[in-house]
Amino acid sequence: MPRHSVLRQLLDSVPGRLGMAALVLLTLSSVYVIATYPSDFGTARWSNPAVWADNPRSVPPAWTNLLGEERRPVHQVVTSPEPASIEPLGPAQLRTFEMPFRFDADEPPSLLSFTLLEVAYSVRPPQYALVLHRPDGTSVALAREAVGGPRPSEDSPFVRYRETPQRLLLSGSARLSEALPALYEESYGVSVDQEVLRARPLQALFGAPSVSGGVEPLRGEYLLEARFTVADEGDRISSMRVVVGGAVFGVFGTDALGRDLAEGLLFGLPIALLIGVLASTLSTAVGTTFGLVSGFVGGRTDLVIQRVADVIANVPVLPLLIFLVFLLGSQLWLILLILVAFSWPGLTILVRSMVLPLRTSPEVEAARTLGASTSHIIWRHVFPHTAPYVFAQLIFFAPGAILAEAGLSFLGLGDPSLPTWGQILEHGFRTGAVFLGYWWWVVPPGLLIVLTALTFMLLALGMETVVNPRLRQP
Amino acid sequence: MTPSLLRPLLVRAASLLLVLVTVLVLLVVSLGATGFSERMLGAVIGEELRALRISLAETITDPDALEVALAARRAELEAAHGLDRAWYQRLPGMVLRVMTLDLGDARTMRTFDGSNRVADIVLERLPNTALLLTSALLITAAIGLSLGVWLSTRVGSTIDRVVSYAAAISYALPAWWTGIMLILLLSFQLQLLPSGGMHSSPPPEGGLARFLDLALHALLPILTLVLVSVGPYVYVVRTITLGVAQEDHVMLARAKGMPGHVVERRHVLRVAAAPILTGLILGLAGSLGGSILVETVFDWRGMGRLYYEAIVGTPDEGLIIGLTFMFTLLYVSARMILEVLYVLLDPRVRYGDAAPLRS
Repeated sequence: MPRHSVLRQLLDSVPGRLGMAALVLLTLSSVYVIATYPSDFGTARWSNPAVWADNPRSVPPAWTNLLGEERRPVHQVVTSPEPASIEPLGPAQLRTFEMPFRFDADEPPSLLSFTLLEVAYSVRPPQYALVLHRPDGTSVALAREAVGGPRPSEDSPFVRYRETPQRLLLSGSARLSEALPALYEESYGVSVDQEVLRARPLQALFGAPSVSGGVEPLRGEYLLEARFTVADEGDRISSMRVVVGGAVFGVFGTDALGRDLAEGLLFGLPIALLIGVLASTLSTAVGTTFGLVSGFVGGRTDLVIQRVADVIANVPVLPLLIFLVFLLGSQLWLILLILVAFSWPGLTILVRSMVLPLRTSPEVEAARTLGASTSHIIWRHVFPHTAPYVFAQLIFFAPGAILAEAGLSFLGLGDPSLPTWGQILEHGFRTGAVFLGYWWWVVPPGLLIVLTALTFMLLALGMETVVNPRLRQP
Repeated sequence: MTPSLLRPLLVRAASLLLVLVTVLVLLVVSLGATGFSERMLGAVIGEELRALRISLAETITDPDALEVALAARRAELEAAHGLDRAWYQRLPGMVLRVMTLDLGDARTMRTFDGSNRVADIVLERLPNTALLLTSALLITAAIGLSLGVWLSTRVGSTIDRVVSYAAAISYALPAWWTGIMLILLLSFQLQLLPSGGMHSSPPPEGGLARFLDLALHALLPILTLVLVSVGPYVYVVRTITLGVAQEDHVMLARAKGMPGHVVERRHVLRVAAAPILTGLILGLAGSLGGSILVETVFDWRGMGRLYYEAIVGTPDEGLIIGLTFMFTLLYVSARMILEVLYVLLDPRVRYGDAAPLRS
């Protein structure tokens, strides 16, 4: 059967069409990931805690706010690369940076932090003050700091915070717990419960006295102002940002290290596809070759191949994978190789049983009489008859390989340099996400595994009429 | 059974025995040649010497004398563990021993009562695994066989298409993740079933109450296993039966005007039984090996978990060799039973051809 007609039949069936659509979608997403992610994503970003320090830990996705009654604060990062105003003070300058954000949740943000990126100065270190302007016109001084001074052997210009940005955790600072009682007394004429101020300072910072005597959320537009006094107008302040920690995050939430699960889940997609496609292509190639040779050549070769296939076909793959990966190390290519080495026999046995009657077919006899070589006969006159089956098996292998790698990763034996869905699940399971009810951490990775495997299953289902023509509907 | 059938059976028995030996040889080579065995024993000895150094330091104050005493002890330990010999001298002895059905002792693993004999450990774990895996397989097979055969007569119908999709989804579900989902739903959300472990704490008194408690804990894992395996099972039975139903001898029987149910029983099911039985018996033997992933998720003390612990947890080559021998022996025995059954079931089977009949 010519190949294009196989494809047409596949697309004629409903599962075939569904599977094809899903495969196109998965492939396009993978291409996007490969194009946009750094190649060392696993080691440099995913496994690097510094990248995720400002993120809230183990919080659900932002869209969960739509489901419940309570509105939890959304995670916000506001960056300010340019000063909003510059005031000359003689040779010095006062540069004001503004970082506005909106707060309209029922509970206070989980943290408030300020991060200053690269600063360069020529003479005296710049000084800066952080002030939070609240929606009701009141304001709180949150910090007063100076950039690190010059070291004895250093020459101007002095560059600070290039490698590691300066991060101030405003929500935990001593200045905040001093400023808050003053704010409440001066602005509202009330004294607030010391317990609240000490235990939950952010509740007071993002709140106002309520009628009942407690503190209620103060919703509206906030503005964090950073006033930098620089000694020389040539001094450079590159960029800064404020992080208003949310109790919900992004589309997929975060894990216990504050990692954005959306990023990790997306990265797992090309890896899963790679495992599925590579493992199935290689085992199909090996399985078909052995099957053709075994069936066509016959004799002792046939006997040996069939005996080996027979045994390997019944070896349970997962215990063996665990054993070999533990012995030889967790590397993706090794896992792939083992999967291929133990998944070809089924196809070999099938192809051989199809080749046996073809060996004496008129077509093969004719080719032999014309003097064709054995390899030519196998390739041109035997293989084409088995092609639809081989193609169906090619698709069918993929979900098995994807599930096997996921299972291995779930046991903690996945390749540590490449985060996969199985590994994300393993981390969640090991740290008790299941028992703490962090569903956003354990449901999506598994669903993605199921969807990817199902894509190939649907394609295999669509191949049924190709493989078994008698099922074709008239 | 006629003598002409006996000889080929003996040949098969011999070749299956060869499989058993080959598996063990491959295992020993991979344990030895990768240095796994050496590393593992080295770690055990290092651990023992560390403890000894601390206790000796109280009585021996001279540091040189201490080192001498420790070196003597190290040599003693290395000889005791056989580390003074190369792996290809040490490990074959172990294989020969397990071949005589003496599984030996585990290094750190203990039974609940404290026995470290591998045979005792296995006997403690095997019923647990059988309760989970074997019951799940039997339930799956019962549903799969009845539904699959029934579906094979309704190919192309709506219900057939629905089952095909369900089978695809069932196959695509990772068992361990399905288990986690069921825990989230049935035990945390609805609080119907325990989320893991084998007994409530404290376990109820009395044999029957204790068993019911165990069965209650087994429900969720069994449900998980059935959910992920029943779909493919139905589909395979349907396809095999369908394949036989399309063969010429069935056509002929129908053409002769034989009643439908007689054709079904005598010409379809009898032939389809061979590959289905193969799957069932190999599955039963395999089920005793346990499921590493499901036992991990449900914190179940079964064979799969035991094997995993013997490799990854506290590596123990004696346990690995003993367990592998047992699993392979189970497989080989199941194959031998099948060889005999093929002859009894399908009159077409004659051993002239080199290839065994299998699905």
